[in-house]
Amino acid sequence: MSDLITFYSLVKREIWRFSKVAIQTVFAPLISTSLYLIIFSYSFRSREVAEYGIDYIKFIVPGLIMMSLIQNSFANTSSSLIVAKYQGSIVDLLLAPFSYMQLTLGLMIGGIARGLVVGLAIYLIATFFYSGAVYSVGLFILFSFLISGIFSLFGIIAGLWAEKFDHISIFSNFFITPLTFLSGVFYSVKNLPGIWSKVSLFNPVFYMIDMARYAFVGISDAKLSLSITIVGTLFIVLFFLTTYLFKIGYKIKD
Amino acid sequence: MNKAIEIENVNKSYGDVRALEDVNLTIEQGEFFGLLGPNGAGKSTLIGVLGGLVNKDSGQVTVLGNDVVQNYRKTKKSLGIVPQEVVFDPYFNVRETLEIQSGYFGVKDNGERIDEVLDALGLKYKEDTNIRGLSGGMKRRLLIAKALVHDPDIIVLDEPTAGVDVELRKSLWDYVIKLNEQGKTIILTTHYLEEAEQLCDRIAILNKGRVVAVDQKEELIKRIDKKVIEVKLQHKPNNIEELFPTAANIEWTDTNKLKLETTRGNVISLLDKIQNSSLEIVDIDVNSAKLEDVFMKLTSLGGEENE
Ligand SMILES: Nc1ncnc2c1ncn2[C@@H]1O[C@H](COP(=O)(O)OP(=O)(O)OP(=O)(O)O)[C@@H](O)[C@H]1O
Ligand SMILES: [Mg+2]
Repeated sequence: MSDLITFYSLVKREIWRFSKVAIQTVFAPLISTSLYLIIFSYSFRSREVAEYGIDYIKFIVPGLIMMSLIQNSFANTSSSLIVAKYQGSIVDLLLAPFSYMQLTLGLMIGGIARGLVVGLAIYLIATFFYSGAVYSVGLFILFSFLISGIFSLFGIIAGLWAEKFDHISIFSNFFITPLTFLSGVFYSVKNLPGIWSKVSLFNPVFYMIDMARYAFVGISDAKLSLSITIVGTLFIVLFFLTTYLFKIGYKIKD
Repeated sequence: MNKAIEIENVNKSYGDVRALEDVNLTIEQGEFFGLLGPNGAGKSTLIGVLGGLVNKDSGQVTVLGNDVVQNYRKTKKSLGIVPQEVVFDPYFNVRETLEIQSGYFGVKDNGERIDEVLDALGLKYKEDTNIRGLSGGMKRRLLIAKALVHDPDIIVLDEPTAGVDVELRKSLWDYVIKLNEQGKTIILTTHYLEEAEQLCDRIAILNKGRVVAVDQKEELIKRIDKKVIEVKLQHKPNNIEELFPTAANIEWTDTNKLKLETTRGNVISLLDKIQNSSLEIVDIDVNSAKLEDVFMKLTSLGGEENE
């Protein structure tokens, strides 16, 4: 029982933290994504994505939702940790009786929570731009959890590794942003000229966006089972890696 | 009964610096234990090993019979550690911080205990203030409060009174003494040796990563065979150096006092001599060695007496 309270308190703290600074953590990302929606729906009015036979706006909505999910989950765990390291309050986590797996799970759920809040809000905004229909709500929710879980874990790893705030931006500017933009959020990778279409297949974010789009519109570039395998494996590997880093106290214990 | 803390052959190096060298210490339950030593002696490192902030290189540490590595969740629960560095979580106010902290240690609805601790530390009136809005001393009080909200059996205070005002210092000690009387084990590090001398039952002195002495406070002080006689006089005598040849470190102070140092065995005969001299005596005080004398002897250069 007291073990549950311990764990629950960490989750609560993580969610409480980003709620207290919701202007930066929730509303700011909503504005930028809403701008994408406005611009794309205006510029590509009545344009269709040929491979999918659907409106362009419907094509990019799942991608935009996933992009915000990815960015916000990552931002949540990485900034929670880097601030804790910077202010020294990381000792609170070290002195408290958390198991290493609880630390991983607790921080991860905080990141997922923020990702889902922002993702849901974007979906609601998107319903102003298209019908709001979703092919499989269950799968979409499941994939959202999985993908924001992965980037929450990435955020934890980045937060542990980083020694200052700049290091976090290295992570997001040099890895996350390019991988997301090149993953087919805004286009079908089938449209890319030969070699680039192949290169995309090495980008794990491509499979995430692709499987989310499948759940949204029922069509995908890659085989769903392949995407699930790749993304699921990545999640499991990152989960245990993160737990291991907590166990050895990577860059947080002397 | 399990020992509160058992530390066996613990070593820890940072590069070339041996922060802890073959440290052995046993602390009984219910003790008020002082961990003293000059800057860099290894006190905080040792506390870090206890609390899981520092990975030791070798050795074994148990808390109430549980190993701090294998059984870290149990040991962390029974410890309340006040770190030396003031750290804070900038997102929350005082009360929220203590609620979160209670939750971390598995305690729900801890309002009553939080109130008690806030009262004892004089923080009640700041409970709704964000931590950024606290003064330095108040932040330290909150640090102490955080370590106490889950009612731990063993309380470790790493220089808790640095930067804390006199009034709070007094009420803090009253509270800690009360906790000790309730059976809590207290481990204290401080550079205020008088505080340690007043409060602690047993004291360990660390120097350069090694334990150079562990003993009952009285026994430690007895090791220094020193008595200081202070004689207040009407007038400054001439040739003070020659008056009492058996005394050492003879000194004349601005307050008309003649200070003489001697050993326990010679104190009576020296007092006799003073009385039989022709000096016009106003008052006489005799003081024993202080913890500070022991501390200086064991930690100063050349004083590396090992136990
Ligand atoms: N993270 C670290 N990296 C490198 N050296 C360290 C680190 N932490 C402590 N040390 C070194 O270990 C030694 C012991 O430090 P420690 O903080 O334990 O001393 P202390 O007894 O608590 O001193 P103080 O009274 O100043 O608090 C010092 O020489 C210190 O420089
Ligand atoms: Mg210290």
